[in-house]
Amino acid sequence: MWKYLLKRFLLMFPTLVGVAVVTFLLIRVIPGDVVELRLAGDRGAASQAAIDAERVRFGLDQPVWKQFATWIAGVARLDFGTSMWTGSPIWDEIKLRFALSLQVAIMATLVAVTLAVPLGLLAALRQDTWIDYAVRIFSIAGLACPSFWLGILMILTFLIVFKWLPPMVYTPFWVNPWQNLQQLIWPALAVGYRYSAVATRMTRSAMLEVLREDYVRTARAKGLVQRLILVRHALKNAMLPVLTVIALEFAFLIGGLVVTEQVFNLNGIGLLFVQAVAHRDYTLIQALVMLVAGIFIFVNFAMDVMYAWLDPRIRYR
Amino acid sequence: MAITTPIDQAPATKERTAAAAGWAAVRDFARRRTLGAIGAAVVLVMLVVGVFAGVLAPYDPLAVDFGAMLTKPGAAHWLGTDAFGRDVLSRLIYGSRTALLVGFGAAVIGATLGAVLGVGSAYFGGRVDLYLQRLMDIFLSFPLIILALALVAILGNSIPNVIMAITIPMIPRAALVIRSSALTIREMPYVDAARAAGFGHARIILRHMLPNVVAPYLIMLTAFLSQAILAESSLSFLGLGVQEPTAAWGLMLRGAAVDFAEAAPWMALFPGFAISLAVFAFNLFGDSLRDALDPKLRTL
Repeated sequence: MWKYLLKRFLLMFPTLVGVAVVTFLLIRVIPGDVVELRLAGDRGAASQAAIDAERVRFGLDQPVWKQFATWIAGVARLDFGTSMWTGSPIWDEIKLRFALSLQVAIMATLVAVTLAVPLGLLAALRQDTWIDYAVRIFSIAGLACPSFWLGILMILTFLIVFKWLPPMVYTPFWVNPWQNLQQLIWPALAVGYRYSAVATRMTRSAMLEVLREDYVRTARAKGLVQRLILVRHALKNAMLPVLTVIALEFAFLIGGLVVTEQVFNLNGIGLLFVQAVAHRDYTLIQALVMLVAGIFIFVNFAMDVMYAWLDPRIRYR
Repeated sequence: MAITTPIDQAPATKERTAAAAGWAAVRDFARRRTLGAIGAAVVLVMLVVGVFAGVLAPYDPLAVDFGAMLTKPGAAHWLGTDAFGRDVLSRLIYGSRTALLVGFGAAVIGATLGAVLGVGSAYFGGRVDLYLQRLMDIFLSFPLIILALALVAILGNSIPNVIMAITIPMIPRAALVIRSSALTIREMPYVDAARAAGFGHARIILRHMLPNVVAPYLIMLTAFLSQAILAESSLSFLGLGVQEPTAAWGLMLRGAAVDFAEAAPWMALFPGFAISLAVFAFNLFGDSLRDALDPKLRTL
């Protein structure tokens, strides 16, 4: 088992390096660079010499492989450099925004889990009854509602029916929890609905599969109470795929909030990414992608560890 | 040769029975999977609307009419007009064209390239498989919307480029699923037989393996359709996808639709309904198709 885990652990690094290479090359293919964009504000007054000087300052005159080597050496020391657009350290740019996106992602996960597990369980136990159909339609509808559309609907309802709008300025949770929740609960709900739909469907199908297993029949045959059968025998085994889906969605959510943040006017990681691309802020884009992809890769690894731990059959693959 | 001739000798009846069997399958699908059939019907209606947009739309979707800015839904404009006085219904109808074009374009190309890569990876195995899988892992680590955003920034935002930007993140997802099906097919005796008969790699992959991954292929394809429509509307909503004045649903939800949300809510309501209905229909159809083709395969 340790050998398998070690192998799985070491595999993360080539993938991360691959992500770094791909990002590095991709963003340098985008037409225009940060120096041009920043100096373009001077209506072309900037001389070619000034542009060249700026490029030298950012090291953009170096060959790409050299730029990459410098950057990756910094990353290895967890130093992502400074933003090419604002000049402040990357970590300062990301810190608060990451806290915001992470909080929305966590809240959305909580919404999803509290909705999905009971609903999925209910639908599986009452398969092909009106309850099952209602849950399935509710969850397919969730898949069909883009979070930005749900967000617009929420804002419209607040405006027209309640004549109220959630606070527009971000307050960190540790400063004023009530103010913070008033603002962030709505995006969390908008994202959480779709997210719960995915998890509900997985819970339902996993439960349906498990309920047909021999060990559940045995448990029933030996006269165990229904609640014990469900909790101890069925749910425990059905949770593995559900957990996977939840973890993967969570990992994607941190970077995938782009559109929702736009609707609710939240200054999170997604919005920062869109701005960074617009500014061609290479260092910031690289750091953001590494952060988002790193989380995704790590969550994947964590899921594999959990699988190996929970399901002995997997260890010897 | 001798064995196949008797079957080939009756082409006329073969054709008719094939058509009849096709109809029977459709009828059967409609009866046993009502929800799926409803989804398919909505998709069909969308296709018809998209194709005949020019005939069905009451106005030119690009025609600006400053005399009729922000008109309420009524007799002249069934779904009202937007901030430029453009007819919302006409823009919705033309928008279905954009959505379907991007949806089908990205889904078909993505699933097909993914299938070829997945089957090839499984067939060759060894080093090819290892390197391809690592490459796929790298691309899978980017959230779809982030990768699509970066690609749109590189390629520019014409409709073909938007299709390409959405297709590329889909390829590794399809390849992953189809590879796992293809791995079991590689071990089948008929693939061994084909190899023993001395057929080339291309022929074995195309004639013997690809036809046997049609079920997961179709499942991925239908799943991608709704994802691509969602991705297109998200990109357009961010202002990074299809550009004004082209009619696209995500684009209609942006800018003035939000600014005038209180005064003219129809601008934001109807395009959103269109997106949801389209995705809902594709999902219903895809779900039933999956159940029909492969009850054991779960989708995320």
